[in-house]
Amino acid sequence: METGLLAIGAGLAVGLAAIGTGLAQGRIGSAGAGAIAEKPELVGTMIILLAIPETMIILGFAVAAIILLVK
Amino acid sequence: MIVPMSKIQIIGTRAELDATVRVLHDAGVVQIEEKPAAVDALILDARAAHQRDGITALVTRLDALLALLPVVAPTQIARRDDVDVLIGQVKAALAQLDAPAQNLARRRDDLEADRVTLPRYAKTMRQLMPLSAELALMQNYETVALLVDRKFSAVIEMVRAELPALTNDEFEMVSREVDRDTTAALLVFPRAHSTAIHTLLGRESITQVRLPDELVNVPFKEALATIQARLAAIPAEAEKIQHELHALAREWRARLAAWRAVLRDRLREIEVREKFGATEYAFVAVGWMPQKNVSALRDALARAVGENVLLDELPLTAHEREHAPVVLDNPRVARPFEFLVRLMALPRYGTIDPTPIMAIFLPIFFGMILGDVAYGALVLGGVIYFLRKPKSDGMRNLLTIMLYCALWSIAFGFVYGEFFGELGEHIGLHPYFPRGEAVVPLFAFSIAFGIVQIALGFALGIYQAIKLHQRNELLDRIAKVIALIAILAMVAASSGALPKEMFTPALALLIVGTVLLMYTLGWIGLLLAPIEILGVVGNILSYLRLAAIGLSSVYLAMVANKLAGIFGNVIIGGIVAGLFHALNLALGILSPTIQSLRLHYVEFFGKFFEGGGVEFKPFRREGIG
Repeated sequence: METGLLAIGAGLAVGLAAIGTGLAQGRIGSAGAGAIAEKPELVGTMIILLAIPETMIILGFAVAAIILLVK
Repeated sequence: MIVPMSKIQIIGTRAELDATVRVLHDAGVVQIEEKPAAVDALILDARAAHQRDGITALVTRLDALLALLPVVAPTQIARRDDVDVLIGQVKAALAQLDAPAQNLARRRDDLEADRVTLPRYAKTMRQLMPLSAELALMQNYETVALLVDRKFSAVIEMVRAELPALTNDEFEMVSREVDRDTTAALLVFPRAHSTAIHTLLGRESITQVRLPDELVNVPFKEALATIQARLAAIPAEAEKIQHELHALAREWRARLAAWRAVLRDRLREIEVREKFGATEYAFVAVGWMPQKNVSALRDALARAVGENVLLDELPLTAHEREHAPVVLDNPRVARPFEFLVRLMALPRYGTIDPTPIMAIFLPIFFGMILGDVAYGALVLGGVIYFLRKPKSDGMRNLLTIMLYCALWSIAFGFVYGEFFGELGEHIGLHPYFPRGEAVVPLFAFSIAFGIVQIALGFALGIYQAIKLHQRNELLDRIAKVIALIAILAMVAASSGALPKEMFTPALALLIVGTVLLMYTLGWIGLLLAPIEILGVVGNILSYLRLAAIGLSSVYLAMVANKLAGIFGNVIIGGIVAGLFHALNLALGILSPTIQSLRLHYVEFFGKFFEGGGVEFKPFRREGIG
């Protein structure tokens, strides 16, 4: 029972964080593609902006791993 | 690092102007700036202005001619410096070459146009063929072919209704649907009514099929045959023209390009003077140059021009110190990474160039994420293969960076004991640190990397703020470091690494850091300071990606191997495993690159980096491109 709940918790941690990251990156990506089309020198900045929300899923993954692995 | 620059001023007698400009041009280390406002501008004399206009025109013509000639392997051409003789030569060559080259190019373009349009004619004519069989061609009669979109086919009936009145009933018109969307019609009438009928067709906006002039009064069958013959002849003719253009290019291209380079150099030598200042007997020029080259240039001027020209270093104002042009100069090993720093921005003059630090950390991060002997070796093989091929500078830089990354991947692969994932254990690779199992230590290791790099970033930031007298930045960074130390101490105290009693002093230290940050940020700091400090903690946690992305690649490799085992068939299993490993390798190259770049750009650079540097553009001779 408890193992099942832990697994659900880990799944939620990764899944919800992934949804959040996806929503954010989708918007940033579309804006970024537009910006780069007009000013190609913005590539570096756009990579950064695009990569910022990734922290959410990374942290989600870390939390999930700790839920499952740390007893 | 960013090369220290000097602002220099060159003053000389006007008699030495030409010689001075030539020395500066040869040296190629000075970026000439606008003259000081206090001095009048140097006015070009009539001869120079005339030469400038002449050369500009020649360069434009050379540009046009070179655009026509295909690129061939360059041959070495001796360069001449006697510009007047050269101008004569260029003019003669242009007179000889312009017409034939343009002629060839025009014929090539015509052929290309025919190649595209003739098949369209042929298609239309094939559609009209069945109609033309019903009409005999007659002398003194004109035939008009019409194509009407099926939606508007009623217009044909309207035309038919008007024709009897216009032609006294002397006409013949047949129409039919030639395909799903088009109705075609052929109309034959005496030439005498030509104008009236064309007016009618124009008024109804009906598309007439216009044939090339030479095919207008030819029976359809013959015209179609002519078109087919012409289409068949095009490839051979195009190849012949291409061959002639290549022959022309082989003979002339290198020479023309070299001449253009010399002329452009001469043009720049004339134009640069427009930035100089002048009095009746003297001229003055100011510019930027790397400090280390100043004495060499002074010697060169003394040797070539003599004592009548003086080179002085000017003291820098605060504004000038911020806006000096930037030259990056790094050890050979680190130089490819300048490319990545520039991708972000060129650092401002006087700040720290992060290239050498990036050169150390970025490949380690990449290796730590990918961490597989086999994947690393594959990347290494690919990089070595591509490095042997000719390529652009940017590509060479990227490949060199990937080379370092691949080596670190192999090194970490031995540490993790990974060879195509956990296959390493089966072939006797002993893991010192099996990351698939030791997840929590791996997280700790990643965070440790984060703490090291963020601390380094803050240290650089504090050093830079002191050097540039930026009080606010200095306080801001110190406050964050204090808060960071406090938070680390609190974590250590609550996890037992430090004595429990340390928790309270650490909390006090955190408050000190927060208050200092609030003070630095002003009123808005009451709100922002806690967020900023949380941001620093977030920066460090962000280094978890070093572990997380790597683990996902380990698990994918594991899936590949497990899936291969399920099939129980060596060949199918091998193919499936191969596909999965290929996918994993592709992801394994792309995402570690982006992730380690991001860690540098966002987390590390954020602590000290200031972009907005101005590129150094010295006045120098052009290479023959």
